[in-house]
Amino acid sequence: MTDSVCSYPGDRDEALVTYLYDDGGEPLARATFEAHLVTCVRCAEELAALRGVRTQLGRWNPPGFASVADRGSRDGARRWWREVPVWAQVAAALLFLGVSAAIANLEVRYDANGLSVRTGWMSARPGQPAAAPVPVQVAPTGTASQLIGAPWRTDLIALERQLKSEFHGAQAAAPAGAAAPHQAIDAETLRRVRVLIDESEKRQQRELALRLAEAIRDVNAQRQADLMKVDRVLGTVQNNLGIQVLKNRAQMQQMDYFIRTSQRQ
Amino acid sequence: MTWTDEELVARSIGGDSDSFNELVLRWERPIYALAYRTIGREEDARDVCQETFLRAFRALPGFRGQAKFSSWLYRIALNLCRDWVRRERRAPVVQPPEDVDVMDLAVAAEPSESIEDLVARKDLSRAVERAMALLPEEQRTAIVLKEYHGLTFQEIADLVGCPLSTVKTRLYQGLTVLRRELAKSHNATL
Repeated sequence: MTDSVCSYPGDRDEALVTYLYDDGGEPLARATFEAHLVTCVRCAEELAALRGVRTQLGRWNPPGFASVADRGSRDGARRWWREVPVWAQVAAALLFLGVSAAIANLEVRYDANGLSVRTGWMSARPGQPAAAPVPVQVAPTGTASQLIGAPWRTDLIALERQLKSEFHGAQAAAPAGAAAPHQAIDAETLRRVRVLIDESEKRQQRELALRLAEAIRDVNAQRQADLMKVDRVLGTVQNNLGIQVLKNRAQMQQMDYFIRTSQRQ
Repeated sequence: MTWTDEELVARSIGGDSDSFNELVLRWERPIYALAYRTIGREEDARDVCQETFLRAFRALPGFRGQAKFSSWLYRIALNLCRDWVRRERRAPVVQPPEDVDVMDLAVAAEPSESIEDLVARKDLSRAVERAMALLPEEQRTAIVLKEYHGLTFQEIADLVGCPLSTVKTRLYQGLTVLRRELAKSHNATL
């Protein structure tokens, strides 16, 4: 006998869920609820309905999933979870550019003005003012008093003065005689360039002629092959035609013979 | 050789990034599924999944193994989902495509399944998705963890921080709502 009013002695909803999922609970409590199900229509129906819901829930699948770990190659060690933040990447790039700019076109010069270090992307073009060199004071290896008192000090100063005077003298003489050699060099360069261009043109013309000759040869060979093929096909057709003509002629003669024979009869 | 989660965690803490990668490969799909079923948006679920592993990686040195690694991950993911729902101030949104592409269906069909069966299956899947979206967050979480991740009542209780009986009540109430909504949906299609 069954009844529609549930008389389960306890938390019926909790017992139902525990039984539905078969998860935990005392064996005795489970047996008790199982026995109750035999007599309780309401619980039995609800249990069946909830099982149906669970079956339907099993049909719900999330959309396709592309592995985040596989976005890089799996063995390629692209570890997105420890990826450097964008700001850090930008900072690193700027630092790299700064260092690159600093060491690009590095020019170290040691002259009468002392040690000069100049850096920059672009080297100074002729006619444009160069970037101002940054003089660097080289620290003396000895003390000032030691240097002043050195025996070679006077010789060095004299040598420096002599070099400076020769250098300035050379600079003063340069503008007067500089134009003629430059013009000679320009004319010679121009002549060489023209020779090179002429040679290049001749080489290109030879190449072009060679290619044209090859192309004409290939076309002629292909034309010959096509003509031979056409000739062969025509010959075959003519042969077939001739055979057909002969056959027709033989048939005509045969028919003529039959007609004449029948007329005689 | 297959390492356990705990062994991989220990190796990851020791600086072996390959071990953490293995953990990601092992758990990203369940975490994504959990996130998707909880918040109902594919893109956001992916973000939650990725954020879960990011947080896990950062917090890994502090992981002392009081709970299973998976439970720890689930907790992080659920917290992120909860944050998402609160931030968005809305119930999970299910956006099934209205138009059905026959070519897609043909590709998705099982070898022994007709297109009609596949359409019916997809309709049912959408109906479940809609019904799940109607549930309060606590009930939905309990059902997702129980149905799709196979956690015990006790594990769910530990994870969400509520008594065992509350978990069972949430499950019962959630399943009851689903039963009613799925029946309505079924009647509507007849």
